[in-house]
Amino acid sequence: MNKYALIIDDELCWGCRTCEVACKQEYDHQVKFIHIQEDGPRVEGNEFVYFHRPSVCQHCDEPPCAEACPESAIAKRQDGIVVLNYDTCTGCQNCIEACPYNAIGFDEEKQTALKCNLCHHRVDRGLIPACADNVCLAHCIYFGDPASINEQIDRKRRKRQTK
Amino acid sequence: MKEFKYSNWAREIEVYGYDSMVKSHCRMCHGGCGVLVYVKDGKIKKIAGDPDCPINHGTLCTKGLASAELVYHPDRLTYPVKRIGPKGSGKWERITWDEALDTIAERMLSYRDSYGAESVVLGYGTGRENEAVIYRFANLFGSPNVLTAGHFCYGPRIATSIITCGSNPIVDYENHPKCIMVWGNNVVISNPDCYKGEPFSVALDEGAKLIVVDPRLTRAAARANVWLQLRPGTDTALALGMCNVIVNEDLYDKDFVENYVHGWEPFVQRVNEYPLDRVEQITWVPKEKILEAARLYATTKPAAIQWGVAIEQQINCADNDRVLMHLMGITGNIDRKGGQVLFKPPNIRNVGQFGAHGVLPRDQRDKRLGGDMFRLASRFSIINPKCVWDAILEEKPYPVKMLFLISSNPVMTRDNAREVYRALEEVDFLAVADFFITPTAELADIVLPAATWLEMDYIADFWKRHGYILPRRKVIQVGECRSDHEMLNDLAHRVGMGEHWWEDFEKALDWILEPTGLTWQDFKKLDFLRGEVEYEKYRKDGFSTPTRKFELHSTVLEKMGYDPLPQYRETPESPYSTPEVYNEFPYILITGKRLPGFFHTENRQAPSLRELHTDPIVEIHPDTAEKESIKDGDWVIIESPRGRIRHRAKLFAGLDPRIVAAQHAWWFPEKKDPGHGWAESNINILTDNSYKTCDPAMGASSVRTLLCKIYPEKT
Repeated sequence: MNKYALIIDDELCWGCRTCEVACKQEYDHQVKFIHIQEDGPRVEGNEFVYFHRPSVCQHCDEPPCAEACPESAIAKRQDGIVVLNYDTCTGCQNCIEACPYNAIGFDEEKQTALKCNLCHHRVDRGLIPACADNVCLAHCIYFGDPASINEQIDRKRRKRQTK
Repeated sequence: MKEFKYSNWAREIEVYGYDSMVKSHCRMCHGGCGVLVYVKDGKIKKIAGDPDCPINHGTLCTKGLASAELVYHPDRLTYPVKRIGPKGSGKWERITWDEALDTIAERMLSYRDSYGAESVVLGYGTGRENEAVIYRFANLFGSPNVLTAGHFCYGPRIATSIITCGSNPIVDYENHPKCIMVWGNNVVISNPDCYKGEPFSVALDEGAKLIVVDPRLTRAAARANVWLQLRPGTDTALALGMCNVIVNEDLYDKDFVENYVHGWEPFVQRVNEYPLDRVEQITWVPKEKILEAARLYATTKPAAIQWGVAIEQQINCADNDRVLMHLMGITGNIDRKGGQVLFKPPNIRNVGQFGAHGVLPRDQRDKRLGGDMFRLASRFSIINPKCVWDAILEEKPYPVKMLFLISSNPVMTRDNAREVYRALEEVDFLAVADFFITPTAELADIVLPAATWLEMDYIADFWKRHGYILPRRKVIQVGECRSDHEMLNDLAHRVGMGEHWWEDFEKALDWILEPTGLTWQDFKKLDFLRGEVEYEKYRKDGFSTPTRKFELHSTVLEKMGYDPLPQYRETPESPYSTPEVYNEFPYILITGKRLPGFFHTENRQAPSLRELHTDPIVEIHPDTAEKESIKDGDWVIIESPRGRIRHRAKLFAGLDPRIVAAQHAWWFPEKKDPGHGWAESNINILTDNSYKTCDPAMGASSVRTLLCKIYPEKT
């Protein structure tokens, strides 16, 4: 079985927020699955620290949200994707509290939790998740096998001469 | 193992049941990105980047992705209307295209008869690829007055580059510059004229060093090897200081300087007037940093300067552009592979020919508004907007009776908004073509429904200097909307200029393409055409300037009576030039930071884009906020000597505490009264447009550097 991951190299993120809108184009939910947060600016030593950090479901190896769900509406698939089933979710919001990444939202209208399911409806049909499908101008959103992605990220980091 | 492929359009169609995919070319900003548009039941369902496009390589921005939200917006104007109440009453009545264009034609002809063609002013906003057709119309009609943003946006780059080295030197990202100096530009967000953020980002991935010149911390500045945090408006002094280092440390390209430049000695004399002690004092940048940046830029080959509009919206506009070109020139990076290249367009009829500048009679050209004052601008058919407002309000030097504004919202975007508003209230006849009834359109007599990029055939990037043209293919028709090009082609027949126009606009596209041997129908089957790429052309041809050299010392400016060398002028309103104003308005206000999702006044209706920025934001250093009793998220008043507006405060440590940074172009389409909150947060309530504050050559106003005070809004 494949193991899929969505990995974002946030050193490269420019904060253009295109991934947010690409996600929005795919889903008509009011809740954001992915959003960019500013980290800084703050001064450390003589340097400014200033990043744009994408916040999105990490599809954890041992997802605390799945454990917290009394209805077993959240499950990790064998390929690594953690899927929240909106049909069986009762809206208790335990998962929202359990998520250490603050990556689960709540749809007030439908009264269900909502999170990034890694576009599994696309992935299962051979398509790349909406935010990762050649959208990002920094080419910093990767989808696929985590080991080879991390290798690519390292290779790019070694080549870079900027801070 | 599943095969994953980026932008797999065939699979996309299969999975989602789309009827088709049309490749086209986005124009949500200046234009420029290849896109895949998916259609079902005649409606746009999805937009994605085109991986085959040489400009954006498959990536796209928020605006392109959300285009359909604008196209199908319930407030969109989809048929022509005429006003039936007083100006600004918001009372409109639907009319036919025939009635609208006949009325406009009749007015144009009657004003031309009574007051001369110069009393009819056509205008457009920032480059929306309708420039050439608007100039063609005005020139053939006989009016020398086209109101644009060209006095302080891109026009100066074109004018100064043509007089300095023949064309606009474009960064050759394809060949990966080894050092990039980003000057007053956030290319990854703004995607400025001729550029997209993607190739810049890739060049950094490929190992380029980075210098950023910006008063405000951006992510690029945080990543930079050297960040020069200058005092706003002092760019020319900083660049002259860098030239000083490069000249005096012998870091310049000897071969280029000896053989291909004009005016080396006077240039050296001039840069010697800017020793680093003086430059540090002017710019607030420590001289060690200036040295470091100058050395890094001059000794890393090839190197490039990524510039943009910020340096032009100042009193030093033309000189800013020129001195940055001088940096490119003396370091030998002009027309060098991986440096900045004078790209050649494909063999087509270019924007100058299409714009019919040659047919405007000399006596009409001599009447161009502000032509005696802003002589370089006038040479390039550009006028300063205040000249138009004055001509309307005071009838000086002659009356302007009619404005026809096409995709332009000057109430929001031109300095001294209250004067703009008065002029639009006062003008005898105002026609507007736009997507929505904007605060400017609310003052019109007739508003025409303009087509978006998804509703037209056009040769995209026709006007750019990167050497490509790409087909923009019509995907849908919305209501009765028409492209600006088709509209003017039709109107031209109604004012009796039919012989210089075409039966329909597709034939105009054929005419532009004719030298290539292609028709529009042929061209639209291609992905793009590119001009021949050749480097260091000056070695055999020289530069296209009067001296055939790269003109450090401009013979053109000299003839026009300007200083032929770049010089630094202090910003008209600053702690040093107006200390008495500074006493009362103790912060430097910068404006116009680019936001993902918005393009000047546009897109605040589109839900996915507006949710990125719900309110206008002013960034304030935490120390300043504390001093002024402002908390993060508070509504605050920003006040300049000319007025006050409200923004929401955001504490931001990436600014000098003496500087605050506000946003531009904010209006509130969700407010349904006809004003749409135009004066509430409009930065141009604060700006100044008096002639003495403008660049003497281009007429650019200093909209990005003012003095202000800031305090909590009383609730």
